Amino acid sequence: MSEIFNILLVQNTLRTATPVVLCALGCLMTDQVGIMNIGVDGMMLMGAFFAVLGSYLFGSWVMGLVFVTVLGVLLGYFYYVFSIKFKSDEFIIGVALNILAGGLTVFLLRTLFGVKGSFSGPGIVPLPTITIPWLENVPVLGPILSGNTLLVYASWILVLVCWLFLYKTPLGFHLRASGEAPEALRASGKSPERMKRLASVLCGILASLSGAHLSLGYLTMFSENMSASRGFVAVACVIFGGSNPPRVFLAALLFGFIDALGMRLQKYIPSDLTSMAPYVVTVVMMVAVVLLKRRKQAARAKLSAETRY
Amino acid sequence: MNTGFLQSLRALIALRPKQKLTAQYLLSLLIAVTLAFLVGAGIMLLCGYDPLTCYAAMFKGALGKPRAFGNTLAKTVTLCLTGLAMSLAAKAGIFNVGGEGQLFLGGLAAAVVGARMDGAPGWLIVLCSLLAAMAAGGAYAWVPGMLKVKLKVNEVVTTILLNSAAIYFCSYMANGPLKTAERGIASGTDSIASYAEFTPLIRLSNLTTGIFYAAGITFLIWYLMTRSTTGFEMKITGTNSRFARYGGIRADRLALWGMTLSGMICGVVGLLEVFGIHHRFLTTISSEFYFDGMLVAMIMRYQPLGVILMSFFFAILNIGGSAMELTAGISSEVMLIVQSVIIFFMAAEGGISEMARARAAARRVRRAARRAEKEAAA
Repeated sequence: MSEIFNILLVQNTLRTATPVVLCALGCLMTDQVGIMNIGVDGMMLMGAFFAVLGSYLFGSWVMGLVFVTVLGVLLGYFYYVFSIKFKSDEFIIGVALNILAGGLTVFLLRTLFGVKGSFSGPGIVPLPTITIPWLENVPVLGPILSGNTLLVYASWILVLVCWLFLYKTPLGFHLRASGEAPEALRASGKSPERMKRLASVLCGILASLSGAHLSLGYLTMFSENMSASRGFVAVACVIFGGSNPPRVFLAALLFGFIDALGMRLQKYIPSDLTSMAPYVVTVVMMVAVVLLKRRKQAARAKLSAETRY
Repeated sequence: MNTGFLQSLRALIALRPKQKLTAQYLLSLLIAVTLAFLVGAGIMLLCGYDPLTCYAAMFKGALGKPRAFGNTLAKTVTLCLTGLAMSLAAKAGIFNVGGEGQLFLGGLAAAVVGARMDGAPGWLIVLCSLLAAMAAGGAYAWVPGMLKVKLKVNEVVTTILLNSAAIYFCSYMANGPLKTAERGIASGTDSIASYAEFTPLIRLSNLTTGIFYAAGITFLIWYLMTRSTTGFEMKITGTNSRFARYGGIRADRLALWGMTLSGMICGVVGLLEVFGIHHRFLTTISSEFYFDGMLVAMIMRYQPLGVILMSFFFAILNIGGSAMELTAGISSEVMLIVQSVIIFFMAAEGGISEMARARAAARRVRRAARRAEKEAAA
């Protein structure tokens, strides 16, 4: 038992959850303005590729992140133009984006690097790991909280920042209003379209960053289709967490835990089955959240029926 | 006035546009395809290839030889069936994005039945495998359908997640309990009874007698969707569920059936791959075939006839793309990019033409105003 349930499991949980956390933060931005962006999976995949490209070309991880951020802005804007400005079906655009990502990354992989399958090499500079000096030697907490890569910490901070932004700033308020009551927002002299554009661009940046963590964070390589439906798991986490950053974070952690646990169980259970687990658990989670909500509603209805007279 | 009546009137008006393939839509499609090919040509030029040679290689590779033509037709069948599966569900008001998983499970079920029944008459094997494939695919679609109908769980997300789950499950079965004892097969099940295999119609090509089964199914779906009462109900539910409920159509049941039937068709696609090409279940029987078909369905707005015709075009892009990679040297993924460009433009078609119209109207107003000004000055 202690071979499986130890500190390493917690570490792995945090690491595997990170891309899902970042991607889900992006996805919830668009969810708040009333768009369900299932193209985040493709954004993640492209982010993973361009992070490697930037890092490889310039020999620095900073350039990798710069590449990813620029890509994220472009993708977010692209998504905005097609889904809001041209009023296309957001679902179709999302699917098309995923297909474009699959095609484009493999095409670029073959034409730029001349390899099939995956690209790795000493030229790719990974993201730095950050050790927190005073925390490092604390037992239990030290190995968990110290020595993670940059984007792991960034994702934690971003959860807080996104929550503050959405619920404590006027801009965040307007952004949420553009999804819930666009007409009210328009009546108050603000443009819902601009808010949706902002949300799309933020979504693009965050989802692309999640890809950077995949290819420069815990692995230093790009391989075809390396996002492996994690973007969809992120979408499920957003639904599960009701688009609230801290709750979505917890959902993503749960996913990370199952994923990490599966990896450690591969000694005892065939790897295909352990790989299957996170997806099944996510579906079960989605069902559970509906059932819980129902029960709450039923209880409330019962209460109100009792107190009416 | 009676609000119910007003509502239904509004619903009828809302029902009218968008779902039909109008002449204008087909024209936009032509433009989108041309634009997409131009984008593809731009990419080829950037990478130092000659677009004309590449495209020539593509068409020649897809249609040039009988064998290539057979492969293109076989691909058309796959695209057409998966596209129709998507259309059937979408028309019933539910999205089945999980066809890939249903296809894998259907293929696995067909392969297991096909192998275990060795010794039985050929037609019985095919029939039983067909039933098994449909049951597996249908059941796997029924679950998310039920979740959607009863609990309102988003079916797009669940079906996508179930895809991954099914593919890993099949991989586990093909590597574990059902792994063949034969040598040289990396991850696959036992081969099916050899006399039950579909025979190739064109030598060395993937085109087999399975195409007759596919044609039968295609006809059934076409009939169901366009000529039957259920089809009409689906059409109304898919376009406007409130109006459908007003008309006494049980939308939930329809959606569930649409989903289940869609899954059954995907299961049959898996069977066709197993019985026609690989003669056993392999973990490589499909590489996102369902998603290709789904795109065709989306582009053609879930119209059965349109899907059938468009499948052929996309099959050319698909089969030709690989040939292009071999002869012209450019990576075949460029065709994926071309395909996604077509989809982007077709999805945005309504919005773009609306914007163009609005802009033209604004220009007309401005011109009229200027003219009025001039006249006033004179």
